[in-house]
Amino acid sequence: MRPATLVFRVAVAGASMEPTFRDGDWLLVRKLSRPPRAGEVVVATDPREPARLLVKRVSSVAHGRVTVHGDHPGASTDSRQFGPIPDSAVVGRPFLRYAPLHRIGFVK
Amino acid sequence: MDLRSLIAPRLVAHAHCDIPCGIYDPTPAKIAADTVAKMVEKITGATGGDEASRNTFIRSVAVKEEHAQICKKELLILWTDYFKPEHLEKYPKLHDTFWKAAKLCSKNKQSVDAKAAADLQAAVTEIADIFWATKK
Repeated sequence: MRPATLVFRVAVAGASMEPTFRDGDWLLVRKLSRPPRAGEVVVATDPREPARLLVKRVSSVAHGRVTVHGDHPGASTDSRQFGPIPDSAVVGRPFLRYAPLHRIGFVK
Repeated sequence: MDLRSLIAPRLVAHAHCDIPCGIYDPTPAKIAADTVAKMVEKITGATGGDEASRNTFIRSVAVKEEHAQICKKELLILWTDYFKPEHLEKYPKLHDTFWKAAKLCSKNKQSVDAKAAADLQAAVTEIADIFWATKK
């Protein structure tokens, strides 16, 4: 899954990124042309199912392998299960939560 | 085309957990509360002093105690594990409802009181209604 535009929108499904994102949040995502950095949130293709997008936080990057975790470790399937993902799987970086209205804000 | 559908994302980014960390359901609490009410009925209506009657009476008291405890445990699981801050925003009385329902479980242990049993059934039904509303 590779969106065509530089900036694209995604809807969050699931609770593994709470409290940063809640189920149903809408995000603006900017495509990433550089390798991801530790600590930032990324949208990446699911290594087990490439048509599917994941949203997780980068824990570490080493030799082109990116370890990702949910912000809510008790409710997340991430690199603990599927291992590190290649940095080529990283599609973009969410930078703005634009809905719901009361949760608008930049993504940290 | 309205604004909402104009700005809505067409893609989904999954923040999922593959392992169900809990299957939550208010039904066990409901069954336990109904059992408590049934036992109150049996205890109140108990007659006869023979061994078999006394055995039934004592068992009814024991089952009432046990199921009031099961009800409390099931309610606490829903309260502490299932419900989240966003539910509380939508149902500001949630904490109070759970607290009173848990207290009614204790009251049903301490007493043989048809009203307390009915109140517990009503409280559990109210919680079940909120639970199912959050599932929509």
